[in-house]
Amino acid sequence: MTIPIEATHTATASTSTRDMDRARLRATVTIAARVLPTHYPLPTFIAVNPLDGLRRSSFAEAADRAGELYGARGTLTEQAYRRHYAQGRITAEDLDLVLTRRYPTAANQPLLPLGRQSVDALSLLSADLVHGREAPDPARVFRTASEQASPATADRVASLTSRWCAAFLTSDTTSWSMPGRENGFYPAWRALAHRDPTLSRAVRGALRSLPDRADDAALDALDALGVTEQAHRDYVTAHLTEQPGWAAHIRWRTEHSAGARIDLLDYLAVRLTYEALLLADQPRPPTPVTTLFPGSGVTVPGLVHRAADVCAALEVERPSDAELTAVARVLTSLPAKDRVQVWLEAFEYHYRDALLDTLLDPTPAPMAAPRPPAQLVCCIDTRSEGLRRHLEAIGDYETLGFAGFFAAAVRYTDVDEGGARDLCPVLIQPVFAAAEIPAPDLGAAAARRREGRQAIIGADDGFHRAKDDALSPFALAEATGWVSGPVSAARTAFPRSSAAVARLVRRWAVPQVATTIDIDEGFSVNDRVLYARVALSTMGLTRNFARLVVFCGHGSATTNNPYQASLDCGACGGQRGGPAARVAVAILNDSTVRDGLAEHDIHIPADTWFVAAEHDTATDTVVVLDEHLVPADHRSELERLCLDLTAAGQLLTAERCATLPGASARAQQNLARAGRHARTRSADWAQVYPEWGLVGNASFIIGPRSHTRGIDLHRRAFLHSYRHEDDPAGAALETILTAPLIVAQWINAQYYFSAVSPQTFGSGTKTIHNVLGGVGVLAGHAGDLQLGLPWQSVAYGEDLVHEAMRLLTVIYAPIARIDEIVDRNTILQELLNGDWFTFVARENPTEPWQERTRTGWQPWTTPTQQQQRSLT
Amino acid sequence: MNRDALTKMIKIEVVVTGADAPAVHELFRSAGATGYTSLSGVSGLGHHGYHQGRLLFNQQATLELLITVVPDDKADALLAGLRPLLQETAGVMFLTDTYVSRPDYFM
Repeated sequence: MTIPIEATHTATASTSTRDMDRARLRATVTIAARVLPTHYPLPTFIAVNPLDGLRRSSFAEAADRAGELYGARGTLTEQAYRRHYAQGRITAEDLDLVLTRRYPTAANQPLLPLGRQSVDALSLLSADLVHGREAPDPARVFRTASEQASPATADRVASLTSRWCAAFLTSDTTSWSMPGRENGFYPAWRALAHRDPTLSRAVRGALRSLPDRADDAALDALDALGVTEQAHRDYVTAHLTEQPGWAAHIRWRTEHSAGARIDLLDYLAVRLTYEALLLADQPRPPTPVTTLFPGSGVTVPGLVHRAADVCAALEVERPSDAELTAVARVLTSLPAKDRVQVWLEAFEYHYRDALLDTLLDPTPAPMAAPRPPAQLVCCIDTRSEGLRRHLEAIGDYETLGFAGFFAAAVRYTDVDEGGARDLCPVLIQPVFAAAEIPAPDLGAAAARRREGRQAIIGADDGFHRAKDDALSPFALAEATGWVSGPVSAARTAFPRSSAAVARLVRRWAVPQVATTIDIDEGFSVNDRVLYARVALSTMGLTRNFARLVVFCGHGSATTNNPYQASLDCGACGGQRGGPAARVAVAILNDSTVRDGLAEHDIHIPADTWFVAAEHDTATDTVVVLDEHLVPADHRSELERLCLDLTAAGQLLTAERCATLPGASARAQQNLARAGRHARTRSADWAQVYPEWGLVGNASFIIGPRSHTRGIDLHRRAFLHSYRHEDDPAGAALETILTAPLIVAQWINAQYYFSAVSPQTFGSGTKTIHNVLGGVGVLAGHAGDLQLGLPWQSVAYGEDLVHEAMRLLTVIYAPIARIDEIVDRNTILQELLNGDWFTFVARENPTEPWQERTRTGWQPWTTPTQQQQRSLT
Repeated sequence: MNRDALTKMIKIEVVVTGADAPAVHELFRSAGATGYTSLSGVSGLGHHGYHQGRLLFNQQATLELLITVVPDDKADALLAGLRPLLQETAGVMFLTDTYVSRPDYFM
């Protein structure tokens, strides 16, 4: 029985009705905002799937929806895929394979007589893919009244709102603060907006009498625009998606900052009010606004035209109407707008087939000795694969892959006592706190360091204040111009030397001091033992410990790069991974913790020492941290390892130079030259391609390193160590699939969408970026906040460097165990069933690959296996 | 215990994913609720099958139980917001009468 709840509580006063209207509008805004991308501010800019809000839909549906909402592409253009086809990156076999999988009965249909030929259905579909006229670019369907009736007014609404958002959101980081900011965005705007001289007198008059509350202002504006309550959601969607950058950032603020003083209702109240007032005297389109404005010019190629294209491609002269109709009937199974999905699958299959073929029977590589001289645990980041591969080739080392925060979800404060930072994936909250403190007897040195640092910060702050003030810039130019010009010239002409000098000056002013890690006592010994068990079990390191176990985090040293955080460690919340590694090894070197681990059958030998290190992915140098803590009898082994890491880094840099724009051919062949080139790039403040980050990422491999060791995975695979024999309950695999894999999928999706839709889900070209405090970047001086990666992070010139593909997850584990985990985790079901990523698995290297599909696991036959079958 | 000394109020319990919890917090706050209780990592069997409880490194994908208590006159507005929200999310809501000893905490 349904109980009509509203009927049991009669709204007795008009205020109650208004309260309900307000609550419904707030819920409507929340629901509409679910489609928005997530935007992290620059200091913690981490990769996210911009279509994560549409995750419950399939990838193809979400891609279509992105077209309706933003006018954005969800795939490359047909023209781009056809170029790949012409270049052999997609082959006819790839297309046939995908078409056969999509249309399993098509191959059995009778041949179609066309002119003098007999053609099968798959050939017709293939000809349509290669030669059919292209489908149009997507167009925005959800459009505001001003977009439809007066684009100039829509631009004006966007411009005015952007201006106020920028003023409010950057008040913490600029010398000028928006008056009344402490009261919140809407009240501050309401107090000031009517003074805007660029607005007409009538508009300013109306702005003087706005309601106190943002939700009331939004409701009034919707009413004035003639938007009925049934159309609220669509209309709010149109406003939120017109400038998704601001809306996404404000939603992030609301959810992550208790004192945000701005939410989406405030933002919409401003937008809607401006629109209602500026459109007051203009004709408006009918509501609900959910249809394309007539004359938008979007026309999908008709079946008859496509059939004619196919006949022409097959050289069928003057096809009859019956022939065209027969061809068109076949083509109905593949709507023109869906052809890009077939192309995408073929693009992916080409890579996946080759990868699985390579993994099929790995060439036996030199394995680590029974007790390797050292074990190196790196982040799963694709860039670690290169370092691991080269190090393994140099020495008898064992390497492992694990999320770069090493399971230490910590709130960390450094010795300079800056603000605490959360060093963990954004999926979780920190579990404990840790601080970097001066090593014993070095308190005075640390004080000198702090004083030096404060002096530099003060000078920097004073310089910027003088620069931003109304009059002092003139005096500043007189006082410092004579030196800043030559300094700037030196930084431009000699970036590496200038950076070295700057480092020397900084070391003089802010002396280095040895430090240690102090873990909050609230994180008890039992907690630390539990942490250590989880970390070691999940990375598959529970026995055969080497004398040296190195936890190697990573970061990227670049100059003048607003997107620095996108190159640092995603598992550390977009920050460098060194501190997390230091915290983790501090716990694991604690004898009390080791005693606790022994009770759980994890026996770390007394001569095993955990060491923290950090890989600079811009220069491929690895720095050992807290070297002063390493016992004397481990020093010589550590020196040997450091030498080998240096050599591995040099080889990796030379390898990377093959794809870095501007790197000479000699840099690829000469290790010293390659190293100098990478260091120059890293220090160059004009360099827009400091490194390629995670470009090319396309797969995630979960299994023992022995199954991939010796194989060049071209820095395209996330590598997570896992031994299913040690995880009978599947707890470690469940952790990997629900956390590191999700973060990797976000990274993969961000690179994907930044490549296929750079203007909407990327951030366009760096050359016109304008950094807005700690908020984000604008393209130019105004407009929307940019969402994703810059074009220069995924492309060089006009050409994409990143191959936009969804993530292939390769798992070495029992099929039944994977199914059990998927069955109890909705997020995995959504991502798998929606084709956001794919699972391919086998329990052992001797078994055939199986692909998880919506209808169950299906065998995946690689080209080598096909050849072997045809030979037998 | 004698209920005459207690004040009748409305208790609203909502189960949503961790990712949707901030939206529910905001609705609670905007409807005038003075506080709420949150239990993360709840597991159970529901309309969409079994839901895993606590995940080691993912608090957003697990379910959260949010409980608030409001006076009767604030319940309607809260329900007006929660119902459309829950139509769009994988969540459930329970509403019951409850009694509190310190009503001023909830006004």
